[in-house]
Amino acid sequence: MIPDRIIEQGTLRTAGSRASVEVRIPWYRALPASCIEDARLTVDGVTAPAESVRWEMNGRTFTFAEMRDEVDEWWFPVDSAVLSGELAVASANEHTVAVHLSLYIPYIIIGDGEVLRIDEHDEKLMTTKEEVPA
Amino acid sequence: MNDQLGTPVQGVTLYSFTRPFHAREYDLESLIRKVAAEGYGPGLEVIGFSSLKGFPAVEDRFAGWFRDLLEEVDLVPTSLAINADIGIHRDRLLDQDELVEYMRPQIEAAAKLGFPVARVQISITPDSMERLVPIAEQNGVTLALEVHADQYASHPRILALRDRFEKVGSPLLGFTMDWGATVKGFAPSRVEAYRRRGATEEYLTALVDLWDEYYRQGPPVDQDDHNGRFGRFIGLAAQHGHPEFGIDSGIAATGLFGPAPVDDWLEIMPWVRHVHGKYFGIDEHGEEPSVPVRELIALLVENGYSGAVSSEYEGWHWNDWQSPFDIVRDEQAVQRSAAETAGSRMVTNPAEARAVLKRHHATAQQEGAAR
Repeated sequence: MIPDRIIEQGTLRTAGSRASVEVRIPWYRALPASCIEDARLTVDGVTAPAESVRWEMNGRTFTFAEMRDEVDEWWFPVDSAVLSGELAVASANEHTVAVHLSLYIPYIIIGDGEVLRIDEHDEKLMTTKEEVPA
Repeated sequence: MNDQLGTPVQGVTLYSFTRPFHAREYDLESLIRKVAAEGYGPGLEVIGFSSLKGFPAVEDRFAGWFRDLLEEVDLVPTSLAINADIGIHRDRLLDQDELVEYMRPQIEAAAKLGFPVARVQISITPDSMERLVPIAEQNGVTLALEVHADQYASHPRILALRDRFEKVGSPLLGFTMDWGATVKGFAPSRVEAYRRRGATEEYLTALVDLWDEYYRQGPPVDQDDHNGRFGRFIGLAAQHGHPEFGIDSGIAATGLFGPAPVDDWLEIMPWVRHVHGKYFGIDEHGEEPSVPVRELIALLVENGYSGAVSSEYEGWHWNDWQSPFDIVRDEQAVQRSAAETAGSRMVTNPAEARAVLKRHHATAQQEGAAR
């Protein structure tokens, strides 16, 4: 588990009312979308509303509900996914970006048919890299 | 004890270098070239889902490139680590029919890339291992099920697999021995990582003491025992005001640092087809303080093992202050020294490694035919 690797430094972007950051898997091997249970994006202490959160991976954009049954799209260890949500982020200033991630590890069964779930958290300080027009 | 001393083949799994690969300091090609240039081979193990994008799909062109690269740098493919992802669906586990089909393309990928062994995992039942034999035969790949903490060689599930392997008599069924099942101490580098994250010395002492208590007791006898131990590590952290280390220390203490004695491996020794030389760090004396590397190499040599040992450095999960390359170099020096002390040596010459591994797998074929 390498949680310090989740947030890619310097990738905070804004687009209209949305903010996004590039994220990396805190694990040594690829996992399918179905094993990515949830992610939360928080900037300066404000968390993006769950219903607004989107996950972009391999050129496709998902809600977490859509990822639940998706076993054909994989998050490869050296690829960035993009986590975004409705967040008002003023440009120019330095921001505290926090990402919380819950992953299932599909080959580790603990107890009675329960799949190991890991919860990882990363926090980094960065400025918005660029202002993308909405 | 075997009449003839073994000459294990030195090698490495790219898992040891997860941090530099993940950090994009090396891509697959430059990492393989680094392994060859630094002499961490000749054996090379790769985890499909870690190193190969799109796995288990492997295009012909990629397979050709991969084989050519290994030939060019004179490395010898030893094992492709493949995964039994029984929990890939959110709402249910795969049934064994599905799991067998899930393994099929991965075994085919091993053959296509030139690996003689596919490391498989515990969720595959004895019945399913038997059902995988025709797939293994079609592909000429040995299926070596990994014995990994919190299991150990004399664990009932492993003995059930061993007994089935014996009954089936296929030379293509065996085990991967993972040294993490037979650890003798809570890794000091992990203690140091907790210290750097603010853990008190009182907590760290109590943590090591609790692990030592379980080491004296031996490995957990059943799942309840295992769960009880896990719970005590969580409780210990909470009791010392460090709840943040609870689950983390529980996972490490029970799932990484297995407390079985070294000679427990004798239960399955004839079926060991591949070895994960798991370790967690190197101390100031150049030794592994928590994994009995010297005893394990001596055990392999004395039992005539001439298969591959993949150095599998796992301390990278928490050790971000030392280079995994230096640690692999130093651990392999311990392996070579241990093999010499045991009256033999590790094979480090690529041509000899190819011949030795070929014989290792052919011997299993002959013994299988004789059974």
